[in-house]
Amino acid sequence: MGSGAAIAGLGMTELGRVYGSSPRRLAANAVRAAVADAGLTLEDLDGLLVSHGMGGSPSIELAETLGLRDLRLLSLMSAFGATAGAMVAHAAMSIMNGAATTVACVFADAPLQPKQSAGSAYHRNAKEYYGFGGMTAALGFRSINAFYALAAQRHMARYGTTSEQLGAIAVSTRQWASMNPLAQLRDPITLADHQNSRWVAEPLHLLDCCLVSNGAIAVIVTSADRARDLARPPVHVLGWGQGHPGHRKERGSEFGLTTGALASGPIAMKMAGVTVDDIDVCQLYDCYTYTVLVTLEDYGFCAKGEGGAFAATGALAPGGALPTNTGGGQLSAYYMWGMTPLSEAVVQARGAGGDRQVARNDVILVSGNGGILDHHSSLILSPHAPSSQGA
Amino acid sequence: MDIGVLRRDGRTDPFFDGTARDELMIKRCEPCDRWFGPDATGCPGCGADELGWARACGDASLVTWTITHGRDPDDEPAFLALVELAEGPWLHARLDGVTGLREGLPLVARFVHPAEGEAYLLFSGTRRSPQ
Ligand SMILES: [Zn+2]
Repeated sequence: MGSGAAIAGLGMTELGRVYGSSPRRLAANAVRAAVADAGLTLEDLDGLLVSHGMGGSPSIELAETLGLRDLRLLSLMSAFGATAGAMVAHAAMSIMNGAATTVACVFADAPLQPKQSAGSAYHRNAKEYYGFGGMTAALGFRSINAFYALAAQRHMARYGTTSEQLGAIAVSTRQWASMNPLAQLRDPITLADHQNSRWVAEPLHLLDCCLVSNGAIAVIVTSADRARDLARPPVHVLGWGQGHPGHRKERGSEFGLTTGALASGPIAMKMAGVTVDDIDVCQLYDCYTYTVLVTLEDYGFCAKGEGGAFAATGALAPGGALPTNTGGGQLSAYYMWGMTPLSEAVVQARGAGGDRQVARNDVILVSGNGGILDHHSSLILSPHAPSSQGA
Repeated sequence: MDIGVLRRDGRTDPFFDGTARDELMIKRCEPCDRWFGPDATGCPGCGADELGWARACGDASLVTWTITHGRDPDDEPAFLALVELAEGPWLHARLDGVTGLREGLPLVARFVHPAEGEAYLLFSGTRRSPQ
């Protein structure tokens, strides 16, 4: 125990419309890149955590692909978009209790096929449908967009949240993306562009929805003591938490109104010894603009129902009070599930954000969200070790 | 609306026996007096893994909704919703001819019998506005 855990390496393959490599090969390349980034070699790894993906993503056979031997920790982890946070937490705990010393956590996916639209990668279409579930799909529930639209619409009806407020998140996220050379979409957009973008599933416009990307991202977690001697400045893992609300599909459900951030955030912040007022920058899972809005509320950055008004103040944008999704998020940069916010958090904690580097990076909150707001993970990261943390 | 052809899957056949006779059949745990959607596989209350089928009255209210749009502008928008059955469970459903969408809007189940495939379920307003 003692020194805690830190992220020592970050590896990213080319992201976006990248074809020709299997997810397993992408994952292997990301792990190699992360190990090299840390100044380590594959022989230094004694743990590997692999995230599930949409299809074709590798499982624990990735260890064999990489030629890893004598591992002390090896698992496939699955909590959808909350997996990245869960992997880092599991790695940190394993390191702190002595079960492993140096753990790679990796996500890889390649849902995009050449000549296929981004939407169709996560879209079902068939002439025949089977059973009650098939009826639901046949009636029009063929894409995850519709389910998130139901959630967003419920929030709007209950709290008066508007499409323009969601648009403020799309606009600020793109402002950040314009400063990230790795972002897939870097041309600035206006609120009018958001409002004029086609409907996908009302109340969600196209510019409320994330990208779809191929690629892989890996991080290396090790002890803070060891991380200090490695190639990159350590990114300390100060706290973690999860929340799986289990909203039932029945009377009284809070679906669309609250998320697992409500439970996950306080656990992670308490562990880190910080409060919501201490958070300098947020990297939030932004599969949709609405996801950011409801997550901000549940973490307590504003009162329940006021996420829209909060976003509309410009707080999330460059120069704002709460820089959020500073790499352009999943909306504008790249969609690597929970690795999107995690990777940008590492960049910001290292002070390696270039034009988009935030001035204050002492406490960074990272969220993961999976399913239809079913699963949530939180991480508190910092360039500072827990003991040197200013009160 | 053309929704494709519905077939049975062997697990939810009583639901389609119901739609064929204009009845909404859902799952129910008698000991717990709890109702569930047609796709429920067990009762989280008592752990029963076999739920019986029982007829729901077909009355519902609107929880939330979305209007989905295809990439092709000629595709007709679909009015989709979460509806709360009078018995308590929520269903992902499609609305037909419902105007004035709002939380709590009263709805009623309506059954469609296509030429091919199983009959299915839509929800309409309780007072149909004149054309
Ligand atoms: Zn029961």
